Amino acid sequence: MVGAGAMVGFLSGLFGVSGGFLLTPVLMMLGIPPTVAAASDSCQIIAGSSSGTAAHFRLGNVDVRLGTVLVLGGLAGAWIGVHVIKILRALGSADLAITLTYVVMLGLIGGYMFAESLRNLRRGALVPKSHRPTRDESFFSKLPFQMDFPRSQVRHSVLIPFFLCGIVGILAAIMGVGGGFIMLPMMVYLLRMPMHVAVGTSLFQILFTCAGVTYMQATTNHTVDLVLALLLAAGSTIGVQVGAQVGRRLRGDELKILLASVVLVVMVKMAAGLLLTPGIHLTPLKGH
Amino acid sequence: MIHRNMQIALTVILAVFAPWLAPAAAPPQEARLRVTPETVNMGAFYGGASVRVEGVTGPDEKVIIVVRGGNVTEVFNKVGRVGPIWVNTGKVTISGVPSLLLVFSSEPLGACLTRAAIDQYGLDLPALKKQMRIESKTPDYGRIADEYFLYKTKQGSYHLVNGGIRMNQPDKDGLPYTLEFVLPKSAPPGQYKISVLECRGGEVIQSSDVPIKAVEVGFPGLVAWLATQRPSSYGIVSVVVAMLAGFGIDFIAARLFKRKSVGH
Repeated sequence: MVGAGAMVGFLSGLFGVSGGFLLTPVLMMLGIPPTVAAASDSCQIIAGSSSGTAAHFRLGNVDVRLGTVLVLGGLAGAWIGVHVIKILRALGSADLAITLTYVVMLGLIGGYMFAESLRNLRRGALVPKSHRPTRDESFFSKLPFQMDFPRSQVRHSVLIPFFLCGIVGILAAIMGVGGGFIMLPMMVYLLRMPMHVAVGTSLFQILFTCAGVTYMQATTNHTVDLVLALLLAAGSTIGVQVGAQVGRRLRGDELKILLASVVLVVMVKMAAGLLLTPGIHLTPLKGH
Repeated sequence: MIHRNMQIALTVILAVFAPWLAPAAAPPQEARLRVTPETVNMGAFYGGASVRVEGVTGPDEKVIIVVRGGNVTEVFNKVGRVGPIWVNTGKVTISGVPSLLLVFSSEPLGACLTRAAIDQYGLDLPALKKQMRIESKTPDYGRIADEYFLYKTKQGSYHLVNGGIRMNQPDKDGLPYTLEFVLPKSAPPGQYKISVLECRGGEVIQSSDVPIKAVEVGFPGLVAWLATQRPSSYGIVSVVVAMLAGFGIDFIAARLFKRKSVGH
């Protein structure tokens, strides 16, 4: 398990992602029941994100006001996600739901990243375009409960970050991810936050959302394995340092295409698990 | 009178020398069978434990050693194909079978016992099949039983082998035997029974049982107790421990990087 954590930590350090979306599938491939893998991964993410949040807080990169709205949305979503898992477990379909969610999400993300990196490698770096308000943005500005977020230098209706993070919270509970890979692009492109504040605030939101998910999973579904989470966190810490060193020697687009390939391989492996005839036609209900 | 005195004297003599005159009593069970360790500690890095069974049997006897867990009721999802994907299609409840069954023998099981005796002691899969109860909406019980045995065998909870017991050179006490086996990682904490069946002529002529306990110790033990008995406290502890681990990592990393930069 320390090895699995180190491997995913290496990829996290190499590609600069939290790695939660890779760790849960890796644990599932190692025979950990999906519900236990997802819940323990959430617990493991707390360790990583608390370390990151502390570092970004010192640098003034955390927008606490916006982060609080995101956390509230995330916790509401997490509550829904945890209870969805509870219902699915009772029906015996939680594993299938988690696996299918992963296949779809990894397929979309991996496919998009792969295509975009390939395009960039062929054309060279893209020139940033000047920003013009879109129809969506004018719609968002008409929503009620508008609030200023001075640290991020933006003004939004609290409903937008609340609902965005609510969706991330649902995914966090079902997939055992922090959701940074979804939240960060949304914060930068949709909420127009500066990149460094988006990273710090995203970690702040991930920390509290995953804390909520871990608590709820422990009390509702009894699927958190603290020993497993700590072993993964220990391995991940070592791996991330090695990955960061290796990552410095590669170009951005090369890294992206490599990450996309890893994501797609994991997706194909999981899809194969759904399509190929299983060796045993009985799966224990415990952990589902 | 003389005759009566002689009777009393003889009784006293017999009473005094009785321990030496009495035929040699059978050695107590503890002396015939030894299991080490009697308690298996499951710590943080537990990956199964090696257990040694030693004993002595008669020169013409065959030995079967059975490690058995209590009977359990287990619920499974039955996997079936719906369209192109494999999904859970229903629940199956299996009961009347042991949670753990490891069978070792000095000779092939069929050479030690008759079919009826194997069935009586539940020593192979056909015997277990007769004992197990299956609740399922579909009537494919035979296939479900086979799948269950495959699952338990892959898990390491069922291990039925011909052999495994080492018979040593006979000595004055009889024929010593030794078995070393691994209590699998999949065996949950609890009490298990090690039974030694001494067989002759296809029948069990003597059996001895020794219990063996598997207990969670240290941090995993505390975690398991908290998770099942105090889920709310366990949730809080999980969050706090993970946070402390994160802040600890941050503290160490900050110091390491600081030292590195000073060195440069």
